[in-house]
Amino acid sequence: MKSDNKLLEKLLDVFSNTKIGEIMTSPPIVVTPEITIKQVKDIMKIKKISGLPVVKKGLKLVGIISIEDIINVLERGNLNDNVFKWMSKNVISLNENNTLSEFIDYSQKYKYGRFPIINEENKVVGIITKYDVITWLFEKLGTIYIHDERRKKVLNQEYTSKLTGEILDNDKISFNFEINYNDIQKIGIGATKLKAFLKSKNINDSLIRKISIATYEAEANVVIHSDSYGQIYCWDFEDSIRLLIKDYGKGIENVELAMQEGFSTASEDVRSQGFGAGMGLPNMKRFSDKMTIISEVGKGVTIEMMFYKGD
Amino acid sequence: MKLTKIIQELNATIINKPENLENLEIEYAGASDLMSDFLAFSKPNMLLITGLTTPQTLTTASVIEAGAVLFVRGKSIPKKFLENINNCEIPILSTEYSMYFACAKLYNLGLKDAMETDLNEK
Repeated sequence: MKSDNKLLEKLLDVFSNTKIGEIMTSPPIVVTPEITIKQVKDIMKIKKISGLPVVKKGLKLVGIISIEDIINVLERGNLNDNVFKWMSKNVISLNENNTLSEFIDYSQKYKYGRFPIINEENKVVGIITKYDVITWLFEKLGTIYIHDERRKKVLNQEYTSKLTGEILDNDKISFNFEINYNDIQKIGIGATKLKAFLKSKNINDSLIRKISIATYEAEANVVIHSDSYGQIYCWDFEDSIRLLIKDYGKGIENVELAMQEGFSTASEDVRSQGFGAGMGLPNMKRFSDKMTIISEVGKGVTIEMMFYKGD
Repeated sequence: MKLTKIIQELNATIINKPENLENLEIEYAGASDLMSDFLAFSKPNMLLITGLTTPQTLTTASVIEAGAVLFVRGKSIPKKFLENINNCEIPILSTEYSMYFACAKLYNLGLKDAMETDLNEK
């Protein structure tokens, strides 16, 4: 019972607003006041349940009878007595629109194992126990897990290199950095972090310098021109370093024009930071061994660069 | 040329002083207020001369492996910007001289052009 409560409390925040009408067992197995205790005992045994709402005509709730009541009958009564004589008449019920949170409150307040569920016409439409709740929660957790797997697949989408045709597997990414376009003063942080990373890999200094400079310009381009977040990915292969810088913004309308030194659409604010001279893409081209730019207006820019080792 | 001699010749203030400052040698220098100029044309261990006091100057200096940064016209950079560069090891200096005067003085002292965009003239 304690572990049940702990589990329920932990998950309460996630599901507290769920309607218990979604969770209850329905339709309920019910009995009427006139039938004998023996019949109730047999129903409980066959259906493997430990409590039954007692209803009158039209499913009107008038009581509840549980295994504890049957035990009392065996001790002090007669199996041929009718349900009416032994049922609990003071029944606590819940409405199908009550929330899981309210169910938890009732459970703690009344210490009952089960509650009949009624609808707006006061008819019994279900019954709820902690077991029902736990079963339902586990099903929900399974659903969440499935969704999580799907999200993971999307996030780990592989990229097919436009330079070599091979798949650049996200699971083998050596370095990853998100570019924040909202803070122009942060331009270059990604490049300096990548530089520190490459130094830790014992890559030669002149190669690191070229990679860092090209990355810096790509990073500046995301902040200055894209109006969107961007991503720096780096793969460390045996023969080369691969870079992928991606944004999800405006795109470049004319890549050939943008490759000309001096072409720039930068604002004065950007120029005041020392950029906007239209040298970004030319600098990337200058320092990388191979480079592709994929851009579609409105869908962002993907820049891929390759730097051979062993220069 | 020793960086310490450059500091002396330009009456430079030291804003950031790494441990190895006394041993640093500077052979090349270049000047610009445009960071892309340094990204495009630069040499490792060069003296980067600029009037631009923004974090980008520091990240650019780091990326191009500059030997030191010299701010001209008495400019300075807020200490908080140093935090952007992990364990900033680049000497950062400031001189009251103008960019023109600082460059002329360093040229006469024998420092070479790090950016070499004037090769056609030689």
